[in-house]
Amino acid sequence: MKKLILRNFVVFSILMCVSLCWAQDEQLSAAQILENVDDVINAPQDQDLKIELILIDENGEEKSREMKMLQKGSNKRMVKFLSPAEQKGIAFLSLPDDIMYLYLPAFKKIRRIASHVKNTKFAGTDFTYEDMEAKRYSEKYDPSLLKKNDEHYVLQLNPKEGLKTDYSKLIMWVRTDNFYSTKIEFYNRGGKLYKVMTSNDIEKVDGYWVSMKNEMEDLKADHKTRMILQEVKFDSNLPDKYFTERYLKR
Amino acid sequence: MRNKALLMIINGILLSFTQPSEAQGIWSGYLQTDNRLRLYDDYEFSWQEYRLNLELEVKPSEKVKLYSEVWLRSWGFPVVQSSSDLFNKDKVSPWNLAFREAYLDLYGFISDNLDLRIGKQRIAWGTADKLNPTDNLNPPDIEDIWDFGRHLGSDAIKGSYYMDDFTFTGVYVPMFTPAVLPRGDWSAALSPSMEIQEGLILRNLTDSITMPAYKPEESSIAGIKAANSIFGFDFSLSYVYGRDYLPLAQRITFTPTSVPGEVDIHSELVFPRMHIPGIDMAGSIMDIGVWAEAAVFFPEEIELIIDLSGLGMGIQDSIALADDPYVKYVIGADYTFKNGIYINGQYLHGFVHERGNENMEDYFLCGIEKSFLDDELKITMAGGVEIKDYNEIENNYAYIFSPEIAYRPLDNASIKIGGLFIDGKDNTTFGRVKKSDEMSIKISYNF
Repeated sequence: MKKLILRNFVVFSILMCVSLCWAQDEQLSAAQILENVDDVINAPQDQDLKIELILIDENGEEKSREMKMLQKGSNKRMVKFLSPAEQKGIAFLSLPDDIMYLYLPAFKKIRRIASHVKNTKFAGTDFTYEDMEAKRYSEKYDPSLLKKNDEHYVLQLNPKEGLKTDYSKLIMWVRTDNFYSTKIEFYNRGGKLYKVMTSNDIEKVDGYWVSMKNEMEDLKADHKTRMILQEVKFDSNLPDKYFTERYLKR
Repeated sequence: MRNKALLMIINGILLSFTQPSEAQGIWSGYLQTDNRLRLYDDYEFSWQEYRLNLELEVKPSEKVKLYSEVWLRSWGFPVVQSSSDLFNKDKVSPWNLAFREAYLDLYGFISDNLDLRIGKQRIAWGTADKLNPTDNLNPPDIEDIWDFGRHLGSDAIKGSYYMDDFTFTGVYVPMFTPAVLPRGDWSAALSPSMEIQEGLILRNLTDSITMPAYKPEESSIAGIKAANSIFGFDFSLSYVYGRDYLPLAQRITFTPTSVPGEVDIHSELVFPRMHIPGIDMAGSIMDIGVWAEAAVFFPEEIELIIDLSGLGMGIQDSIALADDPYVKYVIGADYTFKNGIYINGQYLHGFVHERGNENMEDYFLCGIEKSFLDDELKITMAGGVEIKDYNEIENNYAYIFSPEIAYRPLDNASIKIGGLFIDGKDNTTFGRVKKSDEMSIKISYNF
């Protein structure tokens, strides 16, 4: 009898340990998955991209913009508009610690962007300034794994305490084979879904996974912005000085 | 001469369009029409401008950039007063050509951290929105009061040295250029009023301006600035050794005419020298964008001589501008609400034409913007209140209101319909132009 009790205790203890470990593994998995997502999208040492933006309104009418985007690491990004003529030269610099600058050629001045602007539309697109900043999701959001199938992990990302954002949560679909995010749903502070970003044509360029076509849809406004990569250069050794106010107005 | 310059520009454009590249030069710009109707008495047209803005940017290498911005304008109304004027095309159809900027940039000059800009350039200092007390290196261009904040470019050399998070800037402007003043009523509003003695009737009022001598110590303007970010805010300290860009009377001479009691008055005007240290900051507090900017003006003393000897009353001495320092400052904030409404407010102490502590007035300015139809339609409401004396506000205020609707039917094209409505007491700056209510329509296309 004693042996039976002891055996049951050992089996129970092992089961407890396994289930605890499994639970911990699941917790770690969500964080690890998000870390992997960050590692994949920020894998290149630097990125030099020429992008076409197509703005599509509710009637299907399209407007086109072109921009150049430079990124170094996961927290420095510079965006400069090449067209249309009325926006040419407008440049945006995103630096660590939520510091953002905007250069408006018409005023010959660089303006510091206050945090209230972060959640407004970036130059008429469906991306906000917050969407356009370079970042690691794992530094800004706490993830939890909602479900997993053969193709995708589905993560729920809740903003970390103190994060200034208009999003109450993000739901992110992540490919299981390469940890590339294929779809993100953005929920407003009322918990209502209002934007969806999908990443298509995901391919390997110079050894790095990259989505050649992204689309952000504003469900309320019934408006979309398609972001198509026209030129992609990775690891060109972009110097730090490109990500300064000095270079923003050049 | 102007035709030759125009031909050169057109030639340059045609050449660059054949092979547009940064090394060859890229042209861009806009065409803008601007027509205004005065909403007072006879409903006269008050402004007519057709402006072709041409910008050329050439980058022959990573370290060199040439930039120029030219305005070619058909501006104003025919100034035909006699049949002989009909033979003068400039009078029948006035136009002008102006270089706004034309400079050469040398990046990493001598040291990797030093950038040099040489030529006619706009050096915009200050963090406030269009009202910048520290912006004293370029003369104000107040030709169009609706476009307040505009400055002329100055022929200058500017060096910017970047060291860690610091930026040090030094500017030298060899030649002084005065401000461009608005025409008509607005010019009077920005000029000090003068009372003549009782019993005297003014026949002619003339003036002459003494420009600073073309010598470095007289005509030069210089400035330095240090900028950095501290605790999430951008700060800069600046100093300008400059001049007041608006003239000040130094001597007023009364000359009697042949009619008893009637006089001619002649004023001699100068541009006072001044030292102008300044400070500005920008950042955000609780999601609200904030900025502040202040400049202390240390003017040279200008003595005013009123020569009444022609009237047998001798010569009177007084002080036109004391050498006491005075401060101009701006505090501002902006915010974008969740529904897309943008609001911007500024409190300004000391307008561009005001000098001396006792003459500083307060201005409260506000703007609200909201875009509709995927940014195709934007409605802006801007306005402000001027307070001359808080002790007797009811007799010392003026207000200005300027609504505007901008419609962008397609990329690069915009149509703007706006109004400018002013009212107030006659002793205030804006009150003096309360009969200048206007409506305007502007059409522009960028290319």
